[in-house]
Amino acid sequence: MSHSPGFTSLEPRGTARMTRRSTMDSARQWYYQRGKLGTFALAFAIVSGVVTHSYHLFDYPLYETDEGIYLERAWAIIREGRLSPQTYTYDHAPGGWLLIAAWVFLLPGHFEAFGNPVNSARVLMVILHAGSTFFLFEIARKFSRGGLLAPTIACFFFNFSWLAVYYQRMALLDNIMVFWVLLSIYLLLRENVRLFTGLWSGLVFGISVVTKENAIFFAPTVFYLLSRRTKNTGDSSREFTLFFWLFGAASPVLAYCLYATLNGELFPPAMSFSLKHTSISLLYEMWYQLHRNQATLFNRHSSTPFLYTAWLPKDPFLLAAGTVAMVICILAGWRQRKADPGLLVAGTLAFEIAFYLARGSVILDFYVIPLIPMYALCIALVADSAFKSLPERTSRVLAPAVCASVAAFLLLPPGGYLIKHGSTGQLQAADPYHVPQTFMQNAQISWIRQHVPSNARIISDDDIWVALHDVSPVYPYDESHWNAASDPQVRKIFGGGRWYDIDYIVLSNQMKSAMILNNTGNQEQWMLTALDYHSTEVWSITRGSVSLAIYKVNN
Amino acid sequence: MKDVFYAGILLISLIVSVQSVWTLYMTLYAWDRPPAEGSAPDFFREPRLSFTALLPARHEEDVIRGTIARLARVNYPPDLVQVLVVCSADDQGTIAEAEAEIESLHRQGRENFELVVFSDGPVNKPHGLNAALARATNDVVVIFDAEDDMHPDIFDVVNTVMEEEQVKVVQAGVQLMNFESTWYSALNVLEYFFWFRSRMHYYARVGAIPLGGNTIFFDRALIARIGGWDETILTEDAEIGLRLSAEGERIRVVYDHRYVTKEEVPPTLKQFIKQRTRWNQGFIQCLHKGTWRKLKTAKQRRLAFMTLIFPQGQAVLGVYFAFSLFTMVDLKTPVLVAELSYIPVLIVLANFLTTAIGLYDFTRAHGLKATPSAVVGLAIAWFPYQLVLAYASLRAVRRQMGGRLDWEKTKHVGAHREHADGPLGLDEVSRNVA
Repeated sequence: MSHSPGFTSLEPRGTARMTRRSTMDSARQWYYQRGKLGTFALAFAIVSGVVTHSYHLFDYPLYETDEGIYLERAWAIIREGRLSPQTYTYDHAPGGWLLIAAWVFLLPGHFEAFGNPVNSARVLMVILHAGSTFFLFEIARKFSRGGLLAPTIACFFFNFSWLAVYYQRMALLDNIMVFWVLLSIYLLLRENVRLFTGLWSGLVFGISVVTKENAIFFAPTVFYLLSRRTKNTGDSSREFTLFFWLFGAASPVLAYCLYATLNGELFPPAMSFSLKHTSISLLYEMWYQLHRNQATLFNRHSSTPFLYTAWLPKDPFLLAAGTVAMVICILAGWRQRKADPGLLVAGTLAFEIAFYLARGSVILDFYVIPLIPMYALCIALVADSAFKSLPERTSRVLAPAVCASVAAFLLLPPGGYLIKHGSTGQLQAADPYHVPQTFMQNAQISWIRQHVPSNARIISDDDIWVALHDVSPVYPYDESHWNAASDPQVRKIFGGGRWYDIDYIVLSNQMKSAMILNNTGNQEQWMLTALDYHSTEVWSITRGSVSLAIYKVNN
Repeated sequence: MKDVFYAGILLISLIVSVQSVWTLYMTLYAWDRPPAEGSAPDFFREPRLSFTALLPARHEEDVIRGTIARLARVNYPPDLVQVLVVCSADDQGTIAEAEAEIESLHRQGRENFELVVFSDGPVNKPHGLNAALARATNDVVVIFDAEDDMHPDIFDVVNTVMEEEQVKVVQAGVQLMNFESTWYSALNVLEYFFWFRSRMHYYARVGAIPLGGNTIFFDRALIARIGGWDETILTEDAEIGLRLSAEGERIRVVYDHRYVTKEEVPPTLKQFIKQRTRWNQGFIQCLHKGTWRKLKTAKQRRLAFMTLIFPQGQAVLGVYFAFSLFTMVDLKTPVLVAELSYIPVLIVLANFLTTAIGLYDFTRAHGLKATPSAVVGLAIAWFPYQLVLAYASLRAVRRQMGGRLDWEKTKHVGAHREHADGPLGLDEVSRNVA
């Protein structure tokens, strides 16, 4: 090589130097300063989310059966050092109630810190919602290239929709899972996706899967996003980042599998996957869940017509607009995926969970929870794109006007997010901020404490289980009808399943219907027999569509 | 009693996990945070600095001529390069080969090559370096090992870095090349790869750096001022690095695939164990010498301590590994204890898979080809290799406790030169010299 005064050019540039430049270019593409207005909008989003979700939180909605189930499992972790007070059947991975247990353990007063045990977990949901709002805001902001319209719209639906407020207040695994999924996506949208950012994102995603397994449906899109974020970072950096995301995501899942292995419950006995004989094993449970079928969501006459009975009545606008926006996001996003993957990512995230709900397997009404932020994101991005396609001057006037009008329409009647017409036509706050419901369950618990001896054998529902097991006088022989129907160990309390070995039946709202639905193999029959033919109602309460009762069995 | 036992298992798992995560972090540091100044400069400055290359050699008859010839071919003005080949007087074979090559160069008018022969003790590398340092006359002193394939532009690279950044110490990359020679070659090659490609940058950033044994460039005045190399330490390179770090000297690490100095994996397992034993024992000596205590910040001292104690930790880990095999198969513990004690296994898995990806990165960078069977080979060799490392660590501890401080020489056969490519190939160098 010859040398000339000053500098001499070299052979092809070093890989490391090229890698660094590419990383910086890639980072610049994703870096948008929030600014003062953005910080204000973010603060407003979080505060409004906390207010809508925490106001009247302990009164509405009713404590759900599933809230009770996760509470009693968190109770078992703290009080008994195991994953469930009954036989753990691997029906769900334990990430969610491990978090609830950790939270409750830290609270002074543990389960009773906020009155009814479920309240403790509901407070955690509000905190997680605040976090989720932050993540959703930032995701929408980055997907809309730093604009504030999209994050504001997304958080509006996420915070104010009645459908959102109703389910997001509940202590459900889905809410915890949404928090982890949004965090995983948020990490991938940071200015610099470093190798260990990939690891943390993967780890968080893995935690979301062991919180609620259906998070796995988001995996293709999250991985696609990671792949896009690392596209220009150089071969080896990309390989390491992709690998560490996968490794991080697999780690919690492997830990869960290891738990089953250590308990000798990874494979079913004799490797029998016959659906005729239930067995306690992780792989059998997965096999069983894969083969569960139910009528489609769109059939009004199915046993679970939640679309018509629970979701559309609460927020038809979010569901309709979200579905349309999802389709637009996918179609438009596919065309512009190379320049900007935001629309495609939002659309496919929504599609994955929509597909999960629509595919015809067993679902419960609150399974809609992960759909809410994804629909909100799609609506926000489509609206943002629409306004951006207008001339700037038009958009500057039209965007605030349209958004304010739609917000007013939704917050006030007929949208009814905040204010609605009462039964006599008067204006009143929407149900989440107005209707008291849980006092009935608390009254039911009080009546039991005052009138039922602690050694009574009680069939009840999971929503009051922790209250009856954690506060003196405890009721060690209280079990939910679900467990009494399915768990032989629990059934021993009731003489192996004899109606006259039940002393009381405590009915939650709709519990009798659930018992009938769950009686396909006659497993609930002995309890129904006690209820229908050998018991006397000793307490009841009805408000609106909610009815609770207590029956004394004449044994 | 059982609880104490379980607590012990958990404690060991925790320590092993922390150590493994820390190691993994350093292994991948350069990929996580590509260092701003990590690569070689894009443009070379006009040569200004003069270099004295020290080439210590002992029983290197097989490779010394090729290395001298390679130094004769560097792309740097000969009047700015002095080469000192350093031998002990008892090593007549190497002296004869070196003399023959130097005479040949002298006949071509290359008077800048000299042979330095020392007859006093101890007969080891640092003593040879100190003997040669007294004869060095140029601005910068650089060390190459007898089997090194240094890049022809390496002096240009370092001249530019030292001039532009006003640093007095530059550690350039060193890379073992023959990854397919023996069952342990690939793992050894990748250790070097991650060490120079990544860990060195972390050490440099923190400011506590155990330097490598060659392709290390010092300002001659600086090295003279601190008294040269410590002749009582088996890893004089690591020791001088920590001494310079304690003085607050900024050390620049340059790693660029194009300019690495190429070396070979020890040809036999016995040689490999000897080499590793010497390194481990050298680290133990550095630990006891206590230079690391003079480092300025707690973070630097912690890093240096963790690095130097690692060989002893590895010896303990070797014993624990055998114990853990027993516990995996035969010990019944509560599920939570068993679950937590598996965390190190998970991290070991991450370490292994990192190595596998590293193999592809290494081969891609050097125009070689890794195959899936090579990855399978890595997997098969992984645990035996860890056991060999643990054995070498135990051996180092035993030698140190037994007061055996002699230098166990690593044999070189030039296997890496089979992999040399383009203008760096030994054949071409020999042809040019001939």
